[in-house]
Amino acid sequence: MIKGAFVRQWKKMAMIAFTVALGASLATAMLSVMMDVGDKVNQELKAYGANIKVVPKETSIIGELYDVSDGESVGSYLKESELGNIKTIFWAFNIVDYTPFVSTVAILDGNEVTVTGTWFNHHMELPTGETLDAGINSLRSWWSLTDGAFIDEQDDAERDVALVGETAAEKYGIKTGDKIHLDGDAASGDFTVKGIFNSGDEEEDKIFVYLDSAQDLAGLEGKVDSIEVSALTTPDNELAEKAARDPSSLSINQYETWYCTAYVSSICYQIQEVITDSVASAVRQVADSEGSILEKTQLLMILITILSLIGASLGICNLVTASVMERSGEIGLMKAVGANNQAIIALVLTEIVITAIVGGIVGFFAGCGFAQIIGNTVFGDSIEIRALVAPIVAVLVVIVTLAGSIPAIRLLLSLKPTEVLHGR
Amino acid sequence: MTRQKMYFRMISASLVRRRSRMVVALLAVMIGAAILSGLLTIYIDVPRQMGAQFRSYGANMILTPVLDSLSKDDISECTSMIPESDVVGVAPYRYDTVRINERPVMAAGTDMEGAKKTSPFWAVDGSWPGKEGEIMVGKKIAELYRFKLGDELTAVYTSEAEGNDEELVDNEMTFVITGFLDTGGNEEEYVFMSVSDLSSLTGIDEVYDVCELSVSANEEKLNGYADAINEAGTAAKARLVKRVTQSETAVLGKLQALVLLVTVIVLALTMICVATTMTAVVTERRKEIGLRKALGASDNSIITEFMGEGVLLGAIGGIAGAILGFLFAQAVSVSVFNSSISFRFLLLPLTMIVSVLVTAVSGLLPIKSATAVDPALVLKGE
Repeated sequence: MIKGAFVRQWKKMAMIAFTVALGASLATAMLSVMMDVGDKVNQELKAYGANIKVVPKETSIIGELYDVSDGESVGSYLKESELGNIKTIFWAFNIVDYTPFVSTVAILDGNEVTVTGTWFNHHMELPTGETLDAGINSLRSWWSLTDGAFIDEQDDAERDVALVGETAAEKYGIKTGDKIHLDGDAASGDFTVKGIFNSGDEEEDKIFVYLDSAQDLAGLEGKVDSIEVSALTTPDNELAEKAARDPSSLSINQYETWYCTAYVSSICYQIQEVITDSVASAVRQVADSEGSILEKTQLLMILITILSLIGASLGICNLVTASVMERSGEIGLMKAVGANNQAIIALVLTEIVITAIVGGIVGFFAGCGFAQIIGNTVFGDSIEIRALVAPIVAVLVVIVTLAGSIPAIRLLLSLKPTEVLHGR
Repeated sequence: MTRQKMYFRMISASLVRRRSRMVVALLAVMIGAAILSGLLTIYIDVPRQMGAQFRSYGANMILTPVLDSLSKDDISECTSMIPESDVVGVAPYRYDTVRINERPVMAAGTDMEGAKKTSPFWAVDGSWPGKEGEIMVGKKIAELYRFKLGDELTAVYTSEAEGNDEELVDNEMTFVITGFLDTGGNEEEYVFMSVSDLSSLTGIDEVYDVCELSVSANEEKLNGYADAINEAGTAAKARLVKRVTQSETAVLGKLQALVLLVTVIVLALTMICVATTMTAVVTERRKEIGLRKALGASDNSIITEFMGEGVLLGAIGGIAGAILGFLFAQAVSVSVFNSSISFRFLLLPLTMIVSVLVTAVSGLLPIKSATAVDPALVLKGE
């Protein structure tokens, strides 16, 4: 009988299956996007640059406040050899980018200029087997070139190259391709200008060179004066704020929760553990804003998802009700020839549920497709389909179909067969 | 009774008498319309609301003096060129080196209320300075001097009397520390006081070195404002904080694209859902159509009548749905962004037109196929 219903009424059944498929694909797509949107937006927000800054303990004040003391920096440095350690902390996976800096004052044609050594797109082979390209090319995404090209560490064989800030370039009349002679505290060198950049801040006054070149100029082999780290973080909550003030004030349980959550404060803490004599602090402008924007986006997506889930459920529910009610004649006839209520309910429900399952499966895959379309168009990256989505959609489809058919069936059962057949 | 009156009676009676079926159809249209108007409202409003969120990154425009310094009037002249509704905050700064315990420290004089708005990410332990003689100290300075909240500090400023190095005058002022500032940036090494305090300490008029502006606008508009200020020949040069403006444009663009794409997909699927339900509702009435044809109704009159019903259904469902959708969007806006949105009247007719179109088109196909068949066959149920 059920087979017969599918063969003979395939058009109606196909329509129900189609609607269920639509609803299920909508639910799948929205749930997948919603669950992944946090990670994706977090990646996008990396455009704002580093959210953690690591400086040596003590005397960190002087260097930043008084440019003059840069040349004869009193104070301590971080070790270049420890840079790789950052990718070994508990939340190593969340560290998306970082770059060291070492600044010194050099003489260019009799003028003092700040020369900063850094990574451009430094290639690293990590102990874990992963590779990472890190440096200011990605960390300073807002820089734009007014002339020339960015320095590419992997393609360029030449090491004596420099990137010059727009203001500095104008002041000293430097153009792309020029050779500049920099006289540092310990050594001097000639550099070819690869490009002139515009950054909209005080970095335009500086000249950027390879880390080791700057170290040679300043005589600071193997030393680094700050590290900027860009990490994916979880928005702060009360626990994180408490921990940020003093990690030792937490109970053991709280400490573990805090340590194993990607709060900006716990990542800072872990960086301090692997870099000797360092102070890692959150750059509040980036870290705090990230948190609030992430939270808002997630909440927005959750609400839109709820709206579309309600819409999809009501849509399916409605169609099922409509199609069951349509069959009043058939049910009346069945009752007239002696079918009992249970038999009718079982028959109608089996039909509908089989249709719904077929529709649901098709819809699930279509939904995964939609999610990928959204992911690729918006973020240029695929969206991970979480394992949780499938059961949620399955449960939703079954509940919604049953909820849609049961009231209609009850209504039909209460009808008198004679009246229905009579057409009233 | 005129034909028209009869027509309306027929279609309205069909809605009233076949209540349960019509409720199903109406519900379908309403859901579609609610999702349409709700999502569109959110889509239109997202850039504005999200833009406001991005202001938490702080100032996106700075004014620097063309000559030596900026006066209060210069700044208000510049800010008056930007529409008032777009200006989130204005914070003028003036920097001078003062000595605390004989060590030089950078002192910033500003308007605290403005600074609160342009730098919402500043975390202050304690409270912001509110009145004269109060000072906020950067975290690192506080650690260096081991200051506690409520402590008093004496700042000394030595004015550089020009060409007369021997007659250095020391100005002294005592401040009460009301708060410690934690920003993760250089600000932690400064002390902050009101600009009037700084000028009475230094004995120099109230002038500023730089002014931070937080403006709620996209990069293009900001560039327009900056150009307008620069071309007007004021005492200030306006520059955009590239890091903030460029990143905001990029991220906000992505977010808007996300909401747009989600809206399009959800709408397309919902509209198809509504259409299938409407088709099911109309298909059910093949018998009725057959009977009418048997009684001599023309195909056209049947189609007109069904279309009339569809349009009425679409219109009622559309209006109800539009209102429902707006309420939803409002709820979203209040819970996510803590701000309400205004009702866009243009969405009402738009939602109605779309609902009417969807109901009409989805009804048309099954009616056409029903009218094309021989009435005898339809009535027989084949």
